[in-house]
Amino acid sequence: MSTPALYRRLVRRETHSSRAGAAIAVAVVLALLVAWAGTELVLAALGRPALLVAPADAAGSLSGAVAAPTALLVAIGAVVAVIGVVLVVAALKPARRGRRGSRRDRTAAVVDDRVIAASLARAAAFAGDVDPEQVHVAVGRRRASVVVTRSSGRAADVGAIRAAVEAELAGYDFTPGLRASVRLTENGTVGA
Amino acid sequence: MTTTNRFLNRLLLLVVGLVLLVVGGATAVGVLIPDARDAVSGAVDGAGSAVSSSLSGAPWVAWAAAAGCLLLIAVLVWFALRQGRGRTGTLLRVGAGSASQGATPAGGDLIVDAKVASDLLSDALSRDPSIVALDVTAFRVRRQNVLRITAHARRGASPVAVRESIDRAVGEWDALLGRQTPVVIQIVSGLRSRVASTARVA
Repeated sequence: MSTPALYRRLVRRETHSSRAGAAIAVAVVLALLVAWAGTELVLAALGRPALLVAPADAAGSLSGAVAAPTALLVAIGAVVAVIGVVLVVAALKPARRGRRGSRRDRTAAVVDDRVIAASLARAAAFAGDVDPEQVHVAVGRRRASVVVTRSSGRAADVGAIRAAVEAELAGYDFTPGLRASVRLTENGTVGA
Repeated sequence: MTTTNRFLNRLLLLVVGLVLLVVGGATAVGVLIPDARDAVSGAVDGAGSAVSSSLSGAPWVAWAAAAGCLLLIAVLVWFALRQGRGRTGTLLRVGAGSASQGATPAGGDLIVDAKVASDLLSDALSRDPSIVALDVTAFRVRRQNVLRITAHARRGASPVAVRESIDRAVGEWDALLGRQTPVVIQIVSGLRSRVASTARVA
C-alpha cells in the first residue's frame, strides 16, 4: 500500500470513533442472554430444576404476557424501540472525535480540537492584552468562535485580536479548515 | 491504528438495533390494534404447548439448541476480544537474505525495536517547551509497521509548531535508521497537558 493511501486511511481512523465500546457492550449483553438461554435448555434436557424459567414455561407464559395491561405492554415496547433507535443511530452516524488531520510527504498528523482552541485562546489573549482565562474559544466542525471578556476600564482592540486569531489559523494546514468569529462581551471583568 | 474491524462493529449495532426497533415497535403498536392482538394471542397459545411437547418428545432438540448457543457465545467473545489489536513491539525487521535498499546485514537478521524509536524521539523532543509528554508506539497496519507519536501539547502551544518540531525529530530519526517507516503524529491535550503550566510565549 502506498504511503498517501495509508496515511489517508490512518487519519480517517484516528479522527473517527471505531464504536468499539458500544459494540463490545452489545456483544457482552447478547452473550450473557444466550448463555442463560443455553443453560436453561441444558437443565431442561437433564430434567433438573430451572435457574429462573424453564423453556416450556417461558413459551407458555407468552400467552399470559399478551393479555397483560395495554399500557404496560406499550411502555415496554416503546422502551425497547428507543434502545433500538439509539443503536441504529450509533451505527450510522460518522462518529467524529473532534479532531482534524493533515498529511504531508513524510508524516501524517491528527490534532485534537482542544489543542487548537487553547492555541487560539493564547493568540487572542496576547493580542488583546488580557489574561488567557478571559478568552473563551469554542471549536466547531468548520467555525471557531472566540469570545473575549475585556478587563474593566480598559479598551480591547477587536481588530488586533481578530488579526492575531486569523494569522494563527492561516498557519494551519488541517482539514476541515476553520473560520474564526471574534466577539467582545458587553461587560468587562474586574480584577484581571 | 488498530486492526479493529469497524464495519463489523457498526453492523452488529445496526442489526441488534433494528431487531430491537422492530420487536419493540411491533409490541407497542400491535397491542393497540385489537385484531393484531387477537391474532398474536391465538398464535402464542399454540406455541407454549408446541415447545414443551418438542422438548419432551425429542431431547436432541434442546441439546442442539444449547450447542447453537455455545457457538454464538464463542463468536461474540471472539468479536469482543479481537478489538484494539495491532500493536507491535518491533519497528523494523531486515532479513539476512533481503538485498533491498542497499544496506543489508551480512550474517543474520536485524530487528529494530519500537522502544529504540520511542527513547530517541522522546529524548530529542524533551527540551521542546511546547510538548509536555510524548508516547511512541508501533502498529502493524496493512503489512507495514507504522510509528504513532502522541504528543501532549502544552496548553496554548501552537499545534503547527509542535508538528514542525516533531517532523524535524523524525527527519533526524530517519537519517539514523537509514530508512523511512510511516509516521502518524497525534497532537492531543489530555490530563498531562492540564496539570502542566501554560505556554507563556508565542
